[in-house]
Amino acid sequence: MSYYFAIVGTQDAPLFEYEFGTSKQGHDGLSRFSDQVRHLNQFILHSSLDIAEEVQWAHGSMYLKCIDKFFDNYISCFVTGANVKFLLLHHPLNNTGGSGSRSSTAIGANPTSPATEEAIKLFFQEVYENWVKAVMSPFYQNNMEVKSPVFRQRVAAAGRKYL
Amino acid sequence: MPASPPPHNDAPSSEEPLQALPAAAALVKSPLLRSVSGQDPLTMSSSTESLPYRRSNPVAASLYASTLSPPGSRSMSPAGRGSPSRVLAGTVFDAPSGPLPEGAGEKPGDPLNLIVKAFVPHVAIQASSDVQDLARSKGFKNGLWELLRPFGERIQGKVAIRDSNGVSKLAEDFSVRFTRFGADVEHPDVGFKQQASGQEDQGMSRDKRTLAAVEEVVDRHLSYAEQSFLNMPQHSQSTTQGLDIETTSPYYALFLRRLLSGMPIVAHETFGHPVACVVAVSARSDDSVGELRQIYETSQGPNRLPPWVDGDYLRYYVLVHDEENDDIQRSMALFEQMKRHLGLHCHLLRLRSSQSAETDDDSIPLPRSEWISATEELAEIKKSEDEEDDFEDPTRHIFESDATAIRTFIREMVTQSIVPTMERHVSIWNDQIASRRRGFAGRFMNLSRKFNFGGGGRSSTGSSGMGKDNYDAAGFFRADAPEAIMRKLADYAFMLRDFKLAHSTYELLRTDFADSKAWKHHAATNEMAAISLLIQTQQITSKTRAETIDQMLESAFYSYHTRCSAPFGAMRSLTLCLELLRLRGGTSVDDASRWGIRLLESRILGPVGDALIKERLAICHASKEGVGSWHWGARYRKSAAWSVLAADAWMQHERYLPAQRCLNEARKTYAALPTKHGISKFESAHGFIESLERALSDKLDHTGEASKDIDEESEALMDSRPRRSSGARRTSVIETAPLHKED
Repeated sequence: MSYYFAIVGTQDAPLFEYEFGTSKQGHDGLSRFSDQVRHLNQFILHSSLDIAEEVQWAHGSMYLKCIDKFFDNYISCFVTGANVKFLLLHHPLNNTGGSGSRSSTAIGANPTSPATEEAIKLFFQEVYENWVKAVMSPFYQNNMEVKSPVFRQRVAAAGRKYL
Repeated sequence: MPASPPPHNDAPSSEEPLQALPAAAALVKSPLLRSVSGQDPLTMSSSTESLPYRRSNPVAASLYASTLSPPGSRSMSPAGRGSPSRVLAGTVFDAPSGPLPEGAGEKPGDPLNLIVKAFVPHVAIQASSDVQDLARSKGFKNGLWELLRPFGERIQGKVAIRDSNGVSKLAEDFSVRFTRFGADVEHPDVGFKQQASGQEDQGMSRDKRTLAAVEEVVDRHLSYAEQSFLNMPQHSQSTTQGLDIETTSPYYALFLRRLLSGMPIVAHETFGHPVACVVAVSARSDDSVGELRQIYETSQGPNRLPPWVDGDYLRYYVLVHDEENDDIQRSMALFEQMKRHLGLHCHLLRLRSSQSAETDDDSIPLPRSEWISATEELAEIKKSEDEEDDFEDPTRHIFESDATAIRTFIREMVTQSIVPTMERHVSIWNDQIASRRRGFAGRFMNLSRKFNFGGGGRSSTGSSGMGKDNYDAAGFFRADAPEAIMRKLADYAFMLRDFKLAHSTYELLRTDFADSKAWKHHAATNEMAAISLLIQTQQITSKTRAETIDQMLESAFYSYHTRCSAPFGAMRSLTLCLELLRLRGGTSVDDASRWGIRLLESRILGPVGDALIKERLAICHASKEGVGSWHWGARYRKSAAWSVLAADAWMQHERYLPAQRCLNEARKTYAALPTKHGISKFESAHGFIESLERALSDKLDHTGEASKDIDEESEALMDSRPRRSSGARRTSVIETAPLHKED
């Protein structure tokens, strides 16, 4: 299971990007994206903004769940009050070596299952909390890239914790 | 005969550069500059000359005429402009709506039009040897069939068709397809039974071969276009136009047409089965009536059609009179005699036996048939390549009088014999067989049929089965089984454009075939049920779509692809439904793209098909219009992403012109987004686009020589999805990324 997480501002520019893998079941938390799919991930993520912009009006909550699917890449979305979107691309990996039987029960093996949805929701909530704190900085302006290493650490911690 | 290259072929070579210059010069702008507004008038005008000039081997050019220009702008195409001597194919038929083969006024090349024209009655041709000789002496090697074929595609005037309710409507562009009697019969897989596996190779390879041929044809067209483009003196100004949402790309249209043409006679659908058979004898022979009998006997004899083809088709007798050698009095007498014996379905066709040369006063070029099968076109292209210089111009000429005679003959045959016969069949079968199955009693009967005879091994009892199940173990229903007749009824109704009746009949058949475990029949019926529902004009709610169409398509695709390993059917069903869903707009577009992705996922397609479908998906997403001034719900970003993917696919297949087109489109779409940045802030994605651009401009500028080292490098990387010439760039991107993160 590999994740690509991006926070996208209102002008389609990524404010924060982070790539990680699952830490559950003894995985090392590193992403397994190869170089060939890295740009593809960005295309997928960017294109799912179309769906996010449509779905956000139909949904009561900020967490929009899984909004898009591209082959076996799934996109979950969370919209903040300032119309900044958290997008998480998750890509279930089948060939995880010998742990095939175990990974089938892992979070994310089935990207649309309620358990996965819940885990992603918790992840988003924690990131949101940190995001609000980071953005409250008096030096931050709208649609500015967030480079704070503290924020990055906290996102990484949330990823380790929930995904 | 030694074909002198027609004079029009050299004319463009001297005139074209001069003409092309102003337009080309105007287009040489920075692509970024002009991409901001999609409404740029230059873009609009350039779309009419969207395809590059082609010149190499002028004789062979006629082979590629179908993609020479978008069908909608044939008369404006660069090759045709300014060279009045060039007679364009379509002008032979003075159709009121212009020379478009697709007719249909404002929507030329439209997939819907293609679909309607693909499923048309097939008319088999049986001709006596005298008639074949006559046709051969006119320069048609394949006999009468080749002579008649182009005319069947364009029937003059409107054809009145009465539907099952007795309401008559006029079909403007009705057509029939002529086939050779008994050709292209595809037997059901004998090995396909419950217990058998792995014996389906025969059918599978045939399916695969067809698909491969279709792709190969499109590929040849593309490479031809590219060659002529590179040979152009001013080719360094790469084309700047993008994809066009409104008109279908000529290559995609060609792809669809070749996919749908050359339908073989198969057991699981009856579109390829002859609706009528033209029996042609010559007045030249001494015993014309005897010959008729002889032909009739061969159609009953050993090389007759298989048992799952209804032998009860309409027989239409034609007496071919040779204007130059025969005596008209005698022919008339003979014709009277024929009429007396054989009834009304007769015609006297008066032709001249000598070959018409282009220089003759009243000669007109015979247009190439639009619906030749992929394999046939491929053979022609190969031939033209093998023979290089002494390749004979495939354009045939016939006398105006002959053309008129044939046109009259076909119109009369269609309006007075074929259509009424089909109408009659539809109403009879509908009353006698289908209507029994509708309603409550019908359902009850169906149930009792299922359970009374119950027990196991229903479908494996084979042909000796005592009426409990009509499905033959060899994989077909006999032509007189109610299921087969109902399928025929539905297909006839579809061909007569009575889609409602067709749909309700397919609906009935779906469950029948599933019960008999006739999976290929099941798949084909589901496919047509979905198509006939989508092609009707009525509104379809998203609920019906999810419940009915998705389900039908799903089972069609699953049965074709997994159960029968028939990739051709799987591909056809998904492609056609994709198109029909796309045309409906709104949320159907999302469904369409879902099926498109499904098709890509299935790995049926070769490289060309893959790229074409990706390109199509981009157009598909772009055709969804948003709401309000913010275009909520539009899919611009998705469309652009697919364009980039398509460009990448074309690059990998080394077809740089379409890649360029897709990339332009992507850039235009990204630039037109209401948000400020497009994708430019996503580094690796943006880098990827730039690397594609650079590779493309290399390829298109230096005719390949300058970029040879890049080629070699990318060849080495071939196994792991090469990104041409982007290696250096990507590492730099990746190197900067961690720095960015860690500090």
